[in-house]
Amino acid sequence: MNASGSGPAIETNGLVKEFERGRRTIWERVRREPDQRERFRAVDGVDLSVARGEIFGLLGPNGAGKTTTMRMLATLLEPTSGTATVLGRDVVREAREVRRRMGAVLSDGRSVYWKLTARENLEYFAALYHVPAGTARQRIQAALEAVTLADRADDYVERFSTGMRQRLVLARALLPDPELLLLDEPTVGLDPQSARDLRDRVVGLREQGRTVLLTTHYMEEADQLCDRIAIIDHGRIAALDTPAALKRTIAAAEVVRLELPAPAPSNGGVAPVLERLGRVGTIAHSERQDGALLVTMHCRSARDFVPAAFDAARDAGTVIRHVEVVPVTLEDVFLSLTGRGLRE
Amino acid sequence: MSGGEGRLASLIGDLRAFGAAARKEWRLLRRYPSLFIGFLFWPIALPTAYVLQAQGYAGSSVAATNAFASRAGTGEIAGFLFLGWATYMWISMILWGPGTALRTEQVRGSLEAIFITPASRLVVIFGPAVSQVIWALWMFAVVGMAMGVFFGVDLGLAAVLRALTVIILAVPALYGLGALFAAIVLRFGEVHALVQTVRGLFTVFCGMTFPIIILPEWARAVALALPPTYLIGDLRHVLLTGASLTDLVPDLAILLTIGIALCLLAVVAFRSTERYARRGGSLAQY
Repeated sequence: MNASGSGPAIETNGLVKEFERGRRTIWERVRREPDQRERFRAVDGVDLSVARGEIFGLLGPNGAGKTTTMRMLATLLEPTSGTATVLGRDVVREAREVRRRMGAVLSDGRSVYWKLTARENLEYFAALYHVPAGTARQRIQAALEAVTLADRADDYVERFSTGMRQRLVLARALLPDPELLLLDEPTVGLDPQSARDLRDRVVGLREQGRTVLLTTHYMEEADQLCDRIAIIDHGRIAALDTPAALKRTIAAAEVVRLELPAPAPSNGGVAPVLERLGRVGTIAHSERQDGALLVTMHCRSARDFVPAAFDAARDAGTVIRHVEVVPVTLEDVFLSLTGRGLRE
Repeated sequence: MSGGEGRLASLIGDLRAFGAAARKEWRLLRRYPSLFIGFLFWPIALPTAYVLQAQGYAGSSVAATNAFASRAGTGEIAGFLFLGWATYMWISMILWGPGTALRTEQVRGSLEAIFITPASRLVVIFGPAVSQVIWALWMFAVVGMAMGVFFGVDLGLAAVLRALTVIILAVPALYGLGALFAAIVLRFGEVHALVQTVRGLFTVFCGMTFPIIILPEWARAVALALPPTYLIGDLRHVLLTGASLTDLVPDLAILLTIGIALCLLAVVAFRSTERYARRGGSLAQY
């Protein structure tokens, strides 16, 4: 592995990326009319410090700013303001040096050449990564073995499954023998077995001493893989800590999800029901869905809480149709921080 | 590693990447062998239609042939038309080449994967286009053979070597234009309309199928500012009228100067549009 100095693997300070919404016609440009497009911040002042050798996760819903952050670190996007260094190199001023030192999975299996074999794909990218001719063959073989594709190396990629193609994309990222890997939603679109397989490989990368920055909106994936997690929403970091510490921020030992019939407005709506339930536990979230009222509640002990919840529902003139008791997850942390679910 | 050694290693890496890009494209082409059959047919069929049209107009009239020769500098009508069309087809390939290669990578989803490697952007623009040299050689060989077999045009080895020199000297100008189109792809994500327009201009002004002397004076001035005019004219001179390269030094110097200017312009334009794409996030958009 190409190790390069000490200090954090990634450091960002006040990183901002703004985009314009809407379009500006050629006529408006020619007439030099003022640009009236709305500007919005996809990333809004992100401060990060990722230590070498850790798996660091950016967790957030779609559109939270995870991928934009990742693309700025990968030198594909220029920040509007703020700074970002990768392995001690500035992503704008020293972009080529940054690219030389990291591998990245920023796309799905579509980004490989289907009419080439796996080995031919890697031969091409090994040359683009400036892998010396003397070591390219060996490096390609090692990358293929790392993702268990060595036995299919000479098959056309068009014959691969989605999971195999995604593994080939990971093999491509390993070609420069990078100290740092950026993985953007690496398991999206994979079946459970392939996703588990890829997650195992990510853990293997850390065991080899590499740093991994990954984005995901799968809380289980972040919980299982990451040493530390930054929860990101609307372009800002809402919380940053280890998964266990993040979950401890929820003042509850268990989460209880209740399903009740949605009360009609003529019966006072949901307010009386929630008011009574709120007397026996902490309401983390509630929503109407398909004629039902779904309530997520935090409590110290479900054993004590659930009977009290049934009593509260009865007092409010309704019934609880379904109860689910689950441990605290990162989804609950996100919910408590943002008032929204990760998949909303 | 010192700065000088680093730059040398980077240059060697880029040269290898350049070769790998051409090899990759060639491998992809080989997977579709039927394309070669198409390229066997068109370089013969298209100019043949024009030769037959010319014969339809002039028949066996000596006066008509002499009139053509006095304007074109050669009475070899078939050779004149075949060379014009072969050059036109080669130019089309090059104009489409870098821009289309970039666009294909963009649509395929591999452009970002390429742009996060340390390889020079010149590799991305020109590497895949190099594989088209094989197409060009194939096409010129087919055309040369057709001219000899069907119309009895004898080119001769010495003339062919002089023609190759002209082609090599035209490469910077044509690839410079191709790279400009690649820059346009990064900026607008589309290049077809512009390439079609430019090809149309070349057809009208550069004398693909006629001697430019018949154009009005203002149009001749336009023609002389376009590199394909020199390429086509000089190829005809060396292959059909027996001109030496020394006779063509002024033309070739202009061609080379335009070529260098276009390449520099293309590099500046590509850097600028790449920066634009990095700011706006349009690298992966299509």
